[in-house]
Amino acid sequence: MSSMRTVIASNGLAIALTVIVILPVTGILAFAISAPLDALMANFGTWLHQVGQWSLPLVDTEERFAKIGFALRSIVIAVGLSFLYFGITNWLNAGLARVRTGSDVGRRAAVVEAIQPWVFVGPALVLLLLFLLIPAVSTVSLSLQNSDGAATLSNYAFLWDRSALGYEQIRYALRNSIMWLVLVPTVCISLGLLIAVLADSTRWGIVAKTLIFVPMAISFVGAAVIWRNIFAGGGIEAQQTINGVTPSYQIGLLKNLLGHSPSYNEPLYAIEFWGNFFLMWILVWVQTGFAMIIFSAALRGVPEDTIEAAKIDGANPIQMFFRIKLPQIFSTVVVVWTTLVILVLKMFDIPYALSSNDDDKLLLATMMENARNNWSVGNDNVENLFASIAVLLMATVVPNMIFNARRIRREQKEMGH
Amino acid sequence: MLTRSLKHITLALIVFIWVVPFIALLTTSMRSEVASKTSGFWQAYTPTELGHRFGTHDKGGDAFMVLEGNILERLNKDRESYKLSGSITSILFKGRVPDPENPGKTILLRRLVPPGEVMDVRGGEFIFDEAGDFTWTFPEVTAPKPKNLDVFLNQDPVFGADAFVEVLFENKNVTNALISSFIVTIPATIIPITIAAFAAYAFAWMRFPGRDWLFVVVVSLMVVPTQLAFLPVLQGFSGIASWATQLNSWMTDCELDGTCQVASKTFASLWITHTAFGLPLAIYLLRNYIVGLPRELLESARIDGANHLQIFTKLIVPLSVPALASFSIFQFLWVWNDLIVALYIGPADASDLVFPIRLQKQLGTFQDQLHLLNASAVISMIVPVIVFLSMQRYFIRGLLAGSVKGG
Repeated sequence: MSSMRTVIASNGLAIALTVIVILPVTGILAFAISAPLDALMANFGTWLHQVGQWSLPLVDTEERFAKIGFALRSIVIAVGLSFLYFGITNWLNAGLARVRTGSDVGRRAAVVEAIQPWVFVGPALVLLLLFLLIPAVSTVSLSLQNSDGAATLSNYAFLWDRSALGYEQIRYALRNSIMWLVLVPTVCISLGLLIAVLADSTRWGIVAKTLIFVPMAISFVGAAVIWRNIFAGGGIEAQQTINGVTPSYQIGLLKNLLGHSPSYNEPLYAIEFWGNFFLMWILVWVQTGFAMIIFSAALRGVPEDTIEAAKIDGANPIQMFFRIKLPQIFSTVVVVWTTLVILVLKMFDIPYALSSNDDDKLLLATMMENARNNWSVGNDNVENLFASIAVLLMATVVPNMIFNARRIRREQKEMGH
Repeated sequence: MLTRSLKHITLALIVFIWVVPFIALLTTSMRSEVASKTSGFWQAYTPTELGHRFGTHDKGGDAFMVLEGNILERLNKDRESYKLSGSITSILFKGRVPDPENPGKTILLRRLVPPGEVMDVRGGEFIFDEAGDFTWTFPEVTAPKPKNLDVFLNQDPVFGADAFVEVLFENKNVTNALISSFIVTIPATIIPITIAAFAAYAFAWMRFPGRDWLFVVVVSLMVVPTQLAFLPVLQGFSGIASWATQLNSWMTDCELDGTCQVASKTFASLWITHTAFGLPLAIYLLRNYIVGLPRELLESARIDGANHLQIFTKLIVPLSVPALASFSIFQFLWVWNDLIVALYIGPADASDLVFPIRLQKQLGTFQDQLHLLNASAVISMIVPVIVFLSMQRYFIRGLLAGSVKGG
């Protein structure tokens, strides 16, 4: 009889190979076999179209229903495949162990027990390896090569070389990143704390909290569209003066309140330098709800007796907050701060949606997109440049990452695992 | 007392600032095109002076000496909705009149003519009142060409759902974006939760070498910027696609009609990428929850001879519903609202774009059709806001579990 180790290894390999073959084949087959469903859906759409006498072109209806059909079957197939995986592996694991160990029940259980955890964590580990770890490492190495694959630092030349591509842009991007990094978390946390304290001491606080929390559900692009109504400039061309009056066609609320300067049509977020702060505000609007909810829970967790003691000592509400409550929830503040910092460093959507081509508003992530789109003209190592900006982005996140990993390790220890 | 009212005022002010943008969004989406691009949303609720253009009569009518009509009727002739009402404040007179300083020459005069004042239009006397009734009198019977006049109207508030109808039924981009977003989001929520739940169970209750440090590695991946992975992942997908293209041309007769090309950026590549990017948080949240389940329950199940799969499906899943719910909301909102992953990895075909990309494009294309832009944004938000509000409890629980110990 072969040793335990070989049995486990060979069974594991057998399971892995089976899965690697069976899952993709099943997937492709399932998609091929179910393809006629799209036509069926399209027919159904046509029927609805005729019964309901819809006004849009029939082709559009067919296309749309075919797409819904594709959506439905792909959902079923995708979900089916992931269940199939766990079903097959479990069955194979038990079956193979029975075959390999014969009647020795103890050994059989040991083999199954040894393989089972890897079956459960396998898909997660493989996906993380293929889609996060390996790509991250290869991006780093890509950033240290030129387009022929030779080692070089020239992809980072924009950091020091005036003549390098992106020298100006990286300075804007770093300047803006620092401003975002300082302001957005600070404002979010201060406002979040303020709202948490105010809302928890008023009767309609729960309504206030929900309203402030809702922006968390919408996309950054959606938030950009929403705030465009506030920050926009003139709606249409400034009209000529008639009878000494210029009709006001200002459509942005804030710009209307501030007056028409500096220029009629320019939205506030497009103003040189200061426009950055309006973009930041949009992120603050979205994320303050997050800080507020967490602080509100943390403040409720502050032990009653410390508050009682402070009250007896005659502390006023402001002293109570800064001397008693804030120190006790300080670790929560730090956690929220790191979360927001990471979010800000990765920020892309808001500046991309509202000022994608403006060097003055660049952040690292938008600069990457600019690199991909604009620098390719007459430059063949654009991918390496792209990679080098990504690595810079990563470098800014690393301190946070270490901090986070430490915190989680500490938590695990405290929980006794 | 003073501090108490100060408290209410401050909170009310903050809430007001938070809510005004939503009011702006909804208001603009329900206004007409002209109104939304010529006046601010805050002017939609009060009578506002706005300019319109109307033709005095239809082309090819009978000859007349006196023409009577109503400006509002003329303005509303072709409108099916957003019917205008209100009082006329002035008509912009544009025409050449003899120049008093240079006899024999003319100058262009632009002047706002108030109601009741006679003005010269094509040689006839044109007079109108506030209600919009006008008379156009000629010295003899003529058949003048219709004249387009710019009229300023103190217009009553008017709202309609036209923008929504147009965006949903006439412009196919938005419907396609809605369908695409569902195609992307539903599998990209269900698959990671399935995979993560199994992994979390293993990390919580099973024994295997390297478990603890593997868990720390997985969780540290939570903060890796996804941008770092885009390029290699994209290269990987295009490698698979070119391989599939070859396989396709080898196995089928696609070369005849030139359909061999297999796309590298597809819905499937988005699902799998979103799955991978969502896993660290999912595993972290679920493991911390599953670890807290009573150990005795699991041990008694093991003694009864249940295998791990049975324990997982019969015990762990039903008991972990709150944690599963909180992660699925996170992932749903994250995928639904995601722009950057879809931009890099997702399908680039115009009919397959997800909502955030469509909305980003509409910021450019609908620059002058703000009512459509805002209506489209409203539609993109309906689904996440409903999900969010109906499952807010689980969302908050997840937030707290992710950042406050023991929350």
